Amino acid sequence: MSIAGFRRQARAWGRRQLFSLFSSLGTLMSHRVGTLMTILVLGIAMALPVGLYITVKNLRALDFQQEQWGTITVFLKADIGEEQALALQGLIDQQSGARTEVISPAIGMEQFREASGFGQALDMFEENPLPWVLLITPEPAEDEALEAVVVRIGDWLQQRVEVDLVQADYKWLQRLAGLLELGDALISLLTVLFSLAVVVVVSNTIRMDVANRAEEIQVLSLVGAGNGFIRQPFLYSGFWYGLLGALLALLLFNLCLYYLSQPLERLLDAYGNSFTVHNLGAGGLLLVLLAGGLLGFFGAWVSVQRYLNKIRADGMLGRV
Amino acid sequence: MITFERVTRQYQGGAVALRDVSFHLDPGEMVFLTGHSGAGKSTLLRLVLMLEKATRGQVIVDGRNLSRTSMRTAPQVRRNVGMIFQDHKLLKDKTVFDNVSLPLIIAGLRYQDIRKRVRAALDKVGLLSKEKAWPLTLSGGEQQRVGIARAIVGMPPVLLADEPTGNLDPELSRELFGLFRQLNDQGVTVLIASHDLALIRSMGRRVLVLSQGSLVDDIPGADIAGTRA
Repeated sequence: MSIAGFRRQARAWGRRQLFSLFSSLGTLMSHRVGTLMTILVLGIAMALPVGLYITVKNLRALDFQQEQWGTITVFLKADIGEEQALALQGLIDQQSGARTEVISPAIGMEQFREASGFGQALDMFEENPLPWVLLITPEPAEDEALEAVVVRIGDWLQQRVEVDLVQADYKWLQRLAGLLELGDALISLLTVLFSLAVVVVVSNTIRMDVANRAEEIQVLSLVGAGNGFIRQPFLYSGFWYGLLGALLALLLFNLCLYYLSQPLERLLDAYGNSFTVHNLGAGGLLLVLLAGGLLGFFGAWVSVQRYLNKIRADGMLGRV
Repeated sequence: MITFERVTRQYQGGAVALRDVSFHLDPGEMVFLTGHSGAGKSTLLRLVLMLEKATRGQVIVDGRNLSRTSMRTAPQVRRNVGMIFQDHKLLKDKTVFDNVSLPLIIAGLRYQDIRKRVRAALDKVGLLSKEKAWPLTLSGGEQQRVGIARAIVGMPPVLLADEPTGNLDPELSRELFGLFRQLNDQGVTVLIASHDLALIRSMGRRVLVLSQGSLVDDIPGADIAGTRA
């Protein structure tokens, strides 16, 4: 084929694609109620994994903000004085990956007085019963997990003679990490399941579209339309269903987020936290829209492939 | 333009729709195909449109041997053959303009060209004023003419018609045949299946007669008592 001929064919192909794209949109618009219901189902199906994803993402962000959850509290023995406490602090500082604060019994008492509200009742003690305390905030290196550092420092301290008790909240951290991991697994599972749901819903809708338009398919085929031309509007319909479903999912999801954001912020305030809720970024939005469109396209493809073949086998195509 | 060489079409189960049919149509000919219902007229047209394939024999349309080509090329074959149906086969949810433009959209023409050619085709069948109308608001004769406009808009070299006057009164039928004659005068090969013998006689063209699947007669136009000798 000559280059000019090839160009002409390519342009004709492009025009057919454009026609299919817009005619499919027109078909969706002409059955508004049915289209809306399908899109609603798709939107809800797609909103669920997106919602869970954002939940886990926010929990993860919480994890990183809250370094004090990894704080180790070390109570020294009662007979340990200031000199030894400071010496131990020096030792810990030599070990990389931690920042240490020394709290004297006097400061400890002051803080306890403020926090507990016992006030004057504490004056009844003749001498300060509190020991020297070290507050260690681990600062893990990039490639090191917080829990690992906490465990390492905790184990080392436990063996020191000066130390009475080591308290670390890393169990809590481990649980959170476990929960987040479970969340990730759930997201994968939900994404697969609901993607399947999207494909099935679109596929079924398109199957009905094909059946409803059997006459049109027949006429198109009689006036010389190839399989591609007959198939395209349905594929594009699937694409539109998926894309609009994804759009609705994002809308629903943001409405939910808006509805939840106030109680959520109040809850986080109670944890003494200035926290902004993370949303999907621009990349995430695009990804959801693209995934929706592609899933819809695929669902339509499955259906059209099967059903057009069936129409042909039944001899509907081409019966004059 | 159309050649049948010893064509037999047998359906699964043994029923024979066409038996050993041979004939040849030159480019620019206008030929009628007649016979009782079930004589095989529709099957013959279906073979030309590649809606079915001959069980035996060769069907050659515009130089292409349909018996030897894959069904995948059927769309290309159909784009070279305009077909007019007894029941019009118009899409009810599309306007007259959109119906007529279908073959051009399938061919991927530019919208400006589509517009020009659709209007020319509608003008030829005398329905230019109805381009925005819906098919169901038109009379039977008008719908049939929309079907003709759709068949000729792609300027195919061959035009087939299956009982085009089946639902029309004699007056309209005569008009319609006049239209076919005009198209034929412009060089289009026309093959019309019809059992309206009176009308066929008045046209004075070659007639093929089918009976129970066999071609029993091939009468030259000169032997038909035409009004337009």
